[in-house]
Amino acid sequence: MQYVIVGIGGQGILFSSRVLGHIALSRGERVIGSEVHGMAQRGGSVISHFKIGKYSSPLVKAKEADVLLAFDQNEAIRNLHFLKRGGKAIINVHAPEAFENESLKQFLKGRDIELYPIKGYEILKEHMNGRFLFLNVLILGAMCGAGIGNVTIDEVKKAIEDLAPPKHIEANLKVVDLGYGAMAK
Amino acid sequence: MGKKMILLGNEAIARGIVEAGCEVACAYPGTPSSEILPAVAKWADELETKTVVEWGANEKVAFEMAAAASFAGKRTCAVMKQVGLNVAADPFMSVAHFQLKGGFLLVVADDPGPHSSQTEQDSRFFAMFAKVPCFDPSTAAEAKEMVFDAYDLSERHGIVTMLRPSVRVDHCRQDVELLDVLPIERPASFEKDVKRWVCLPAHVKINHPLLNKKNDAIREEFEKDFSKYNYEVPAEGKASLGIIAGGISFAVVMDLLTSMGRKDVSVLKIGTPYPLPTKLVGDFIAKHDKVLVLEETYPVIETQIIDRSKVLGRLNGWVPRAGELLPEVVEEVILKALGEEVVSSSEEEYLKKALEELKIAPRKPMLCPGCPHRASFFSIKQALPNAIYPSDIGCYTLGVNQKTVDAVIDMGASITQSSGFYLAHKVDGAERPIVATIGDSTFFHMGLPGLASAVYNKHAFVLAILDNSITAMTGGQSHPGVGEKLRKEDEGRRVDLEGAVRGCGVKWIKTVEAYDVRENKDLVKEAWEYAKANKEPAVLIFKHPCMLLRVEQDKIPVKVDQDKCIGCKFCIDFFNCPGLVFDEEKKKAYIDERFCVQCGVCINVCPHGAILGSNGEEA
Ligand SMILES: Cc1ncc(C[n+]2csc(CCOP(=O)(O)OP(=O)(O)O)c2C)c(N)n1
Ligand code: SF4
Ligand code: SF4
Repeated sequence: MQYVIVGIGGQGILFSSRVLGHIALSRGERVIGSEVHGMAQRGGSVISHFKIGKYSSPLVKAKEADVLLAFDQNEAIRNLHFLKRGGKAIINVHAPEAFENESLKQFLKGRDIELYPIKGYEILKEHMNGRFLFLNVLILGAMCGAGIGNVTIDEVKKAIEDLAPPKHIEANLKVVDLGYGAMAK
Repeated sequence: MGKKMILLGNEAIARGIVEAGCEVACAYPGTPSSEILPAVAKWADELETKTVVEWGANEKVAFEMAAAASFAGKRTCAVMKQVGLNVAADPFMSVAHFQLKGGFLLVVADDPGPHSSQTEQDSRFFAMFAKVPCFDPSTAAEAKEMVFDAYDLSERHGIVTMLRPSVRVDHCRQDVELLDVLPIERPASFEKDVKRWVCLPAHVKINHPLLNKKNDAIREEFEKDFSKYNYEVPAEGKASLGIIAGGISFAVVMDLLTSMGRKDVSVLKIGTPYPLPTKLVGDFIAKHDKVLVLEETYPVIETQIIDRSKVLGRLNGWVPRAGELLPEVVEEVILKALGEEVVSSSEEEYLKKALEELKIAPRKPMLCPGCPHRASFFSIKQALPNAIYPSDIGCYTLGVNQKTVDAVIDMGASITQSSGFYLAHKVDGAERPIVATIGDSTFFHMGLPGLASAVYNKHAFVLAILDNSITAMTGGQSHPGVGEKLRKEDEGRRVDLEGAVRGCGVKWIKTVEAYDVRENKDLVKEAWEYAKANKEPAVLIFKHPCMLLRVEQDKIPVKVDQDKCIGCKFCIDFFNCPGLVFDEEKKKAYIDERFCVQCGVCINVCPHGAILGSNGEEA
């Protein structure tokens, strides 16, 4: 499995790949991935690559990712070329009109790519008092809800229990369910 | 077998350093190396070793501290980013000649791309320049293992050894095996020996030939005894192409060949690029009709190849001479070398078109919402809009977005450039306001010599020190002006910034709250008037903690009065906060609550009084 996770510096995307890594390791699989630190973390575009299986390089090549997890819709569209034919993307959407664009539709159709939009900001505003740093677990929950990404919600929850600071575990688990629910509907 | 854990490349390197028995670890932060030293501290505490970890004020300081600890027999390391080695170049070149006692590992992290640097320089060239052996890891796990061999080599030959991870190794996450600490009992014992420890010219005459001999011996070892880092992955049957690859490029090539389904390409991995095992490489080349060399970012392996008649590389234009060798780039180069066509897909064109139509571009980095630097830059620009703004390296380099950063060279150059600009105008009998900006960490790193020089030579400019009590750009390390050490329980002492400035001979010096943009505007003017009249630098210290420090501060919710906003974009152009955005359709600014942290500074920014505090605060 090859994942690409994209967003904006400061959104906390690194935690998502830590969760995926934790799950893979507990299954006894090999993992390798690449993160962005430094300048771009100041609100710039950030990308994280993550591969589970027998790989040597931490980088995902264009047209080879199975799943794209996008914390921002613009970053999602900029990075759709990473998805393989038939790839899937979970996208935190704030302006859904963009997806009506004809050229974009043509591309998605041509590559047979399926999008799973989630209104992350609205959900977190309504249920989590606008604490947008929970986007990472919301998106992981959505991934499970959509039945893509090859991990189960129980595995995600177990990983969060192992990795998150104790006082935040409960809130994190609640948000995973919110994400799951938003997709399973 | 040891326990496995998923580690960041830098954490793996740090683990290796502790496991190998390093007792003195020194560094100055810099992406992509910054996580190594804190991880050394973490592992040392966990494994209960006595390893000391310290940030030096700059890389030269860190390197020299580590070097002397080696003179005293300890295993030591110095850690920095590639441009850090430019700062530490002087001791590096010199120490290369020494017959060292304790193992000395130099970790230099390169940044092909670059992602977070002012150059794409290749530190392996520096190793070659200094005649110092170099290890170039392809993965996190290999980097950790190389640390052991680097220490062993260093001690057997008495030579400083370089580990050169590049950004993709530093910041990869991978499952890595953990081992125990190598038991090394070695009390500090410095034995006086002028011939050994004093770099007099007469001693260099003996040591340089000795260094050459060490190079020869190490090259021999790399030919024969390091097959775990230098090995061939043969093709099935006759190879259509040979590839020599080092560092991360090797990993990229291996995954590519698998996904391309190519079994007709053989690969020679080189993990020790200097001194190059030239015989091993020569034998590999002899077996092939053509050989492609893939390495980042300069042709270091390639230039050392003796007969390059069959070689395709950077020197003859087969491989791009700048930028990162990403999988997409390497794929194209390999196909070209195989004489095959590169097919582009038509769908890609639709995506390009969509990006254009939707006006989506990569997001540029910006100062954080609430960042004190933004407020400081705003005051400076309002006070002296026609000044020259030399600046420096740090988060505040992003002041380019506010048009208050005009020239940046490297750390410390804001001050020295101010001197240069002053002199250029002075010879014409002319004068122009100059306001330099420098961060607190950068000031201690390399600002002091420039300031002393400017006072001594009587140069008129304003120096704004942006004191956010942290080294922010690199993730938030402490520095002499903070006082706290890397290990919170280690005792440190704060070096007083104002005192240091005064000690350089500066007479006009004021420390202000960075958020007070109105008052500070007047003070910037006053500072310049003083500097101009007295022909000397005047220093303003803008103080306010970095947002990363999460110091409690008043929350002042703000809103933009849509009637008062005339759509002039002044706040966007000169203040540039992610929390304050412009609606191109309505032609009005508004607060984006996804990002606003309610610092309240923008209330004083709008010239039309359209930005209001929700609690009634008004400009
Ligand atoms: C010689 C050198 N060493 C290290 C770095 C990495 N680096 C970039 S900015 C910076 C310092 C930033 O701290 P400061 O000046 O306090 O500014 P801040 O980022 O906190 O605003 C460092 C260490 C570098 N660019 N050059
Ligand atoms: S990290 Fe600190 S100094 Fe850097 S942009 Fe953010 S608030 Fe400003
Ligand atoms: S209050 Fe104004 S300056 Fe401060 S974060 Fe919000 S929008 Fe930015």
